[in-house]
Amino acid sequence: MSRARAATVDPVRVEVRGLSKTFGAVRAVTDLSFEVEPASVTGFLGPNGAGKTTTLRMVLGLERPNAGTATFNGAPYVGLAQPIRTVGAVLETAFHPARSGRNHLRVYCRAAGLPLSRADEVLVQVGLSDAGNRRAGGYSLGMRQRLALATALLGDPAVLVLDEPANGLDPEGIQWLRGFLRHLAHDEGRTILVSSHLLSEVEQTVDRVVIVGAGRLVREGTMEQLRSGAQGSGTVLVRSPEATRFADVLRAQGTSVSQQDGVLTVIGSTTDDVGRRAFAAGVELHELRSHSSGLEEIYFQLTSGSEQFAAPSPGTTVAQEAAR
Amino acid sequence: MIGTVRAEWTKLFTTRTWIGLVLGACALAGGFAALFTALAGQVQPGQEGYPPVGTQRYETLVFSVPAQTSALLLILGIIGMTQEYRHRTATPTFLTEPRRGRVITAKLIAYALVAVPFALAIVLVDVLVVTIYAGARGAAPSLSADNLQTLAASGLVLVVFAVIGVGVGALLPNQVGAIVGSLVYLNLVEPIVAGVGAIQGAYKWLPGGAVKAITSDFQAPELLQPWQGGLLLLGYGLLAAVLGTFLAVRRDVV
Repeated sequence: MSRARAATVDPVRVEVRGLSKTFGAVRAVTDLSFEVEPASVTGFLGPNGAGKTTTLRMVLGLERPNAGTATFNGAPYVGLAQPIRTVGAVLETAFHPARSGRNHLRVYCRAAGLPLSRADEVLVQVGLSDAGNRRAGGYSLGMRQRLALATALLGDPAVLVLDEPANGLDPEGIQWLRGFLRHLAHDEGRTILVSSHLLSEVEQTVDRVVIVGAGRLVREGTMEQLRSGAQGSGTVLVRSPEATRFADVLRAQGTSVSQQDGVLTVIGSTTDDVGRRAFAAGVELHELRSHSSGLEEIYFQLTSGSEQFAAPSPGTTVAQEAAR
Repeated sequence: MIGTVRAEWTKLFTTRTWIGLVLGACALAGGFAALFTALAGQVQPGQEGYPPVGTQRYETLVFSVPAQTSALLLILGIIGMTQEYRHRTATPTFLTEPRRGRVITAKLIAYALVAVPFALAIVLVDVLVVTIYAGARGAAPSLSADNLQTLAASGLVLVVFAVIGVGVGALLPNQVGAIVGSLVYLNLVEPIVAGVGAIQGAYKWLPGGAVKAITSDFQAPELLQPWQGGLLLLGYGLLAAVLGTFLAVRRDVV
């Protein structure tokens, strides 16, 4: 079954429409709508507490939204005939610690009417076959993530939903996961939705992004669209013997700058721009470099709001922070 | 549905919890059977003595011993349900079968069916100990219709308690809370109800009173007929199951 369909799967589009969820007085998710396309990896991004996990759990029918729907080719999760054959989910790692990884998988083979041999196939797929007979309680964090991924793959699903799957993986594991997800999407036509609180973690993997902040949609689009919006708004580090004077010059021109020792952190600018202004002001520079990708900055800007934008930058002292 | 029931058996038999509980129940049943046989015929000053070997009262007493281990089957059912929440496997379980009512129903069926061989094993240990020990004391009980009825009733109590356990677990997802709460109820609350004159009449309507009615314990206050007790106990099992299902379906899995 899995081998016959290995080339491509029937495409499944995920549609989230107007999802809202409150926990008591806390509005976890508010009127959230987005789409997840087949044959692509979509990053579901936002800082911790933005409502990503709650959204994914509502999409999967584990939590009841106060309003809105989430559908897979038009059907809600609970309306799917054999849901794990359509959607695989990696949420928090959940195993009975005394049960072996293989037996854990067999439980869900039984429940979904899949042959028990699927348990061994997915163990091979995630590189856990040697550990299959060991108690899951003794697994490392990375092995638990792989077992959770194996559980999601049991039904050979067209859609994979992964909540922070890189947590606990070592750099090699993260590299493997990136390649694996891209292969599942681009070569096999699956629909992948992967959440993360770090853009840099998924930047190289995802084709599209859905960015949420405080439970609301902030930006949805392709990585190209995000990148084009990011141009010209990075953070630039400047080292200069005349740092204090140059900081005053930049501030006088309305630019946000912080200073620590002889190093300035210029926010919302480019190396070209800062270099030109240093030259114009006659300031001697010893170092001029881009501190982080503009993409990371725009993500931060999108999810934090502009007034908090400069707060945690490395040049800000505790005293300045307190004075704010 | 068959797959979901079989999945529950796979869950049960891929950890060792059941071994401890079933062996513990067998040991308790064997131990109490031996104790009542050893004490048989002893006279206690000022109290009713232990019925001597060879009397119908003795045989009813020792053949209702398996029902006294029902707390362990209750715990088996509670753990079967609450481990899903404790180890968070409720998430993959409900992802695989999002119609949660079916999951709870499958659990109830799985535990009712699996409790049958467990109950048979416990009853068998009781019969073996009684047959050998009472035989050595001169009068091995025959498996008469009365005695078989007592044994069957004891076995039924065990099966129903496993089902009640699943229902209690669905009502109270906190494993420790559910186990401690039920043990406190069975061993503290019910004996007080049974012992306080003003509210004693209510005891026969409680699960413990129903068990006593089925197994005809002679020291108990006024009780229902055994068949009424059996129906009442089944009713409690179903009530716990229905309430538990209702709550588990509505509750967010977190």
